[in-house]
Amino acid sequence: MTPEDWKAKLSLTRDSFLSALIKTDAAGLADFETKYLGRKGELTLLLRDLKDFLIEDRKVLGALGNALKTELSAALDARKTETGAGAVNLEKIQFDLTLAGYPFPRGGLHPLTIVADKMYDGFQKLGFSIAEGPLIEEDYFNFEALNFAPDHPARDMQDTFYVDLKDARGKDLLLRTHTSPVQIRTLKNQAPPVRVVSAGRVFRSEAVDASHSFAFHQMEGFYVDKNVSMADLKWTLEAFMKDLFGSSAKISFSPSFFPFVEPGAQVAVSCVFCKSSGAACPVCKGTGWIELLGAGVVHPNVIKACGYDPEKWSGFAFGAGIERFAMLLYGISDMRMLYENDLRILKQL
Amino acid sequence: MKIQHSWLMDFIGASLSVEDLVAKLTRLGFNIEGIKKTGAAFSGVVVGRILAIEKHPNADKLSLCGVGDGTTVMKVVCGAKNIAVGQKILFARVGAVLAEGTLKKARIRGVESEGMICSAEELGLEGYDNSGILVLPENTQLGVDAASLFAKPDCVLEVEITPNLAYCLSHYALARELCAFYNLPFKQPAVPELPGSGDIRVPIKIEDPGLCGRYTAVVVENVSAAKTPEWLAGRLRAMGSNPKNNILIDVSNYVMYELGQPTHCFDLAKLAGPEIIVRPAKAGEILKSLDNQDLKLDGTMLVIADKDKPLALAGVIGGMDSAVSDTTKAVLIESASFNPSAVRLSSRKAGVKTESSYRFERGTDPELTVLAARRMAQIILEAAPGAKVIQVTDNYPSKYAPKVIEVRPERINSILGAEISEKEIFACLKAIQPELVGDKPWRFSAPSYRRDIDSVWDIAEEVARYIGYDVIPARSNMPVMRASATPSYEVTRELKNRLACLGFSEVYNYDFISLRDFRNCLLNEENAVPLKNPLSTDFQFMRTAMVAGALKTLKFNLNRGRSSVSVFEVGNIFRKTDKGHSEETMCAGLMYGAFPGEESWRGGSAMADFYHLKGVLNYIFSGYGGFRFEKAKNPPAYFHPGVVLEMKLGNLQAGHLGMLNPKAAMNSDLKDNQIYYFELPLKALVAAYKPEFWARLPQVKAVSAFPNTWRDLSVVMDDKFEWAEIEKEISKAPDLSAVKLIDVYKGHSVGENLKSVTIRFNFSSMEKTLTDIEINAHIAAILAKLGLNFNAKLRS
Repeated sequence: MTPEDWKAKLSLTRDSFLSALIKTDAAGLADFETKYLGRKGELTLLLRDLKDFLIEDRKVLGALGNALKTELSAALDARKTETGAGAVNLEKIQFDLTLAGYPFPRGGLHPLTIVADKMYDGFQKLGFSIAEGPLIEEDYFNFEALNFAPDHPARDMQDTFYVDLKDARGKDLLLRTHTSPVQIRTLKNQAPPVRVVSAGRVFRSEAVDASHSFAFHQMEGFYVDKNVSMADLKWTLEAFMKDLFGSSAKISFSPSFFPFVEPGAQVAVSCVFCKSSGAACPVCKGTGWIELLGAGVVHPNVIKACGYDPEKWSGFAFGAGIERFAMLLYGISDMRMLYENDLRILKQL
Repeated sequence: MKIQHSWLMDFIGASLSVEDLVAKLTRLGFNIEGIKKTGAAFSGVVVGRILAIEKHPNADKLSLCGVGDGTTVMKVVCGAKNIAVGQKILFARVGAVLAEGTLKKARIRGVESEGMICSAEELGLEGYDNSGILVLPENTQLGVDAASLFAKPDCVLEVEITPNLAYCLSHYALARELCAFYNLPFKQPAVPELPGSGDIRVPIKIEDPGLCGRYTAVVVENVSAAKTPEWLAGRLRAMGSNPKNNILIDVSNYVMYELGQPTHCFDLAKLAGPEIIVRPAKAGEILKSLDNQDLKLDGTMLVIADKDKPLALAGVIGGMDSAVSDTTKAVLIESASFNPSAVRLSSRKAGVKTESSYRFERGTDPELTVLAARRMAQIILEAAPGAKVIQVTDNYPSKYAPKVIEVRPERINSILGAEISEKEIFACLKAIQPELVGDKPWRFSAPSYRRDIDSVWDIAEEVARYIGYDVIPARSNMPVMRASATPSYEVTRELKNRLACLGFSEVYNYDFISLRDFRNCLLNEENAVPLKNPLSTDFQFMRTAMVAGALKTLKFNLNRGRSSVSVFEVGNIFRKTDKGHSEETMCAGLMYGAFPGEESWRGGSAMADFYHLKGVLNYIFSGYGGFRFEKAKNPPAYFHPGVVLEMKLGNLQAGHLGMLNPKAAMNSDLKDNQIYYFELPLKALVAAYKPEFWARLPQVKAVSAFPNTWRDLSVVMDDKFEWAEIEKEISKAPDLSAVKLIDVYKGHSVGENLKSVTIRFNFSSMEKTLTDIEINAHIAAILAKLGLNFNAKLRS
């Protein structure tokens, strides 16, 4: 066979391929492909014949043959698409797509951590830095400097755990009953202006039930500077609540008592859960308000105890139970759930 | 504190519904903790008589009664079992308003009922048998309005009184507060002056006016066995107090609830002599208290005494020996003012808390003693018509001197951040101190019962309460401040997130553990900090290690059907030290069972083992330079001594990881001991933490642009050689970019005490493509080194 013969054969193959291709339907395309391009297909055999030619002819003819192969493959693919033959093949692959994906390790943070972090983030945006304090605390920091006189009945409001150790003043060390000692520790170490937030564990000697625990968590925030007022406090808490509950959230103050603030306030946030549907709302009991924090203007005795003049320096402070926030946000009705460490609960979060 | 609506209204000259009262109190900072309706809060119910009873035609358990009210007879369906013809009963007509709502005409199983025969419960009456209808006495008049037979409708509020509001601990005082803050007319109680003979039968001696500022005493004679009137007994019952039907006993409680002044009555005949001495107790003295305890007294406690013995622990509790009784003929009424701290100390030392000590601790009004004494006498005289007041004395050695506070309106506004007009601020001050004059600066002096007002801050709060806290705007021009976090917070957050990503769930355990927990975890309590007042022996000590909580969490979850548990906790541990105590934050984690934990349809979840945990810690510490595992020198006892490593961050100890000691697992009743545990002190991470963001970032190393080639090498060597020493020897070969152990095999085909290790070497050069010849030379050199150092032979 001369190179010319081979070229003619190639040309014939092309013509018959292309004219037959348009007459072939989806069902026939697989056989058609075998006939021309399969291992013993016309074009494949033709290309195999090249081995008998001289090397220089082989180069030229090979290039022609390969170009045709590419062209015909493309035409076949186009025909497959046109007739829908490609889809037939894809359907043959049978996956049960409803089977579960392989399990990746799935852990999670405790709801109290998630909520405390969110609260930290909210206050950090408002310029509050994070501070910390110990859990075993001195009477001075937990009570005395916070305007709880040694024999003041306000101490009865917080049932205290004492440990079998004494402080330098000879008083029994105790487990902090609130995060407020961080106010004193911070202000004694750092001159105002100071704007700080601190979360952590606190203890009260109370029986455990659905809404009480002898160990729980609080977040404390305070700001001491010149000319700080109750209006600054209200703005700060409202900005924080909007972060948590949306920009329509409002807050309301009502009178309350904590020895380390004066005036003192109970802080409620407008209920976002009932959308003002009224008496049916189980969260706010139809009042439209959810009590969430205690707050107030830092008591002059506290400013004095930290070594500053209350006529020059003023501040505000607030405190919140993290459990209260977590229970509200996650719809948890029993506080004990937060300390049982039941993975059936924790894995949901 | 319980407040009865009708009682409160004795002192308010305007009508105030319960709803209005609750709203007004709440707005002033009094939390209402409960509202209980009492008395006959129904209407349209009359006294009727059952004239006939038939069976209901369509229901076995119902009856058809003919009920007469004196004028008509009505047909009534009734389900009660205790009905009988002739009974006088409470009959609710159609339209009656009952506890559950308005009664409507109803057909019950096809028969129309023209009303209802009531049980006490259906009328909201308390204290009656509710098993059936309420049967009235035969002498009750037919046809009368049934509401007239019972106490009037009333309401008892449970009001929370915070320590700053302790001046409101009575009906009188709470009414005074409401009247001041809502501009209502306050009605002073009509208490007559006492005649006072001037004859001092019992002299009063106060040893320390600092402890007892005032002592008002009234002696009343001829009081024998006077009974408590029903109106007074009813009010005591509403307070939850049990009347004793002896006016001398009940009157003290009554006056305390009414006026807030605790008082006491001594039986004059039981005094050793005609003298009352207020003095510190003597060490060793004993008082038999009214509740029959022997109280041991000492010099820090204040007593009321006669010439021989203590009669009462001042302000706390009276003594049995001088108590009034049915045979008492003459009494001395004590109405005094005691130092709050002194009463608190006595009460605490004696272990006795009473309504009296509660009020004295919070401070009573020194100007109230005379009014209270007169009110006592008034009630006793009314109950015992023959009684006579023969002595009125009022020792008042330390007179109340009000503190004067200069008030400037702009100062009030600067505290509140509000713009309240001078007029409004003045109106508030005037409401609290009616005598205040308008000249500026205003000189406010608090009334004797408002000693809680001590500064302009206190006054600012009063102004806000008076006008309403809504007067404070949410507005600020606070300067911006840079917020920073502590390294320990940053480190903890990162650590927790990494563990959570690896499948660990965060848990929170209590900081308290029991002696048994120490034993179970092979620890001793020597260095533990014990609680002085633990809730129970389960919570006796502060934890010295986190492991007890981890084991409890594991057990809790295994008992609830889980087969795999991966948990971690960040918390504090506490230890006694030479200098006192230490408190340290730890992170502990536990791994048990299948990992990643869930069964999959494809099968094959590996069981967590030591190397899983080691991998976890490698990940936790990634990015911390100088992290390594070392042989544990002195690991805690709760680790398996053969399966434990120490972690190091540079020179710092960074905790341990390993298998838990099987003994600890056994002690905790865990059947399987393949429990893997780690703990690390946060301070190691904190010390290695760089607060500057840029300094924490790793510097990127360039990678080769030339191909990377790998070769696997399988060699057989003695089993005793550890991977760490092998790796050390071979990792310095030229052009080596990574070396990894990919298989370890021990078995018959290898030979006894031998192992086959397969090591994968990656080679690459920054300068060129490595040729086969070059790589073969590297491998040959490595093989030679393995042969030399470990007697390793190429596996055939």
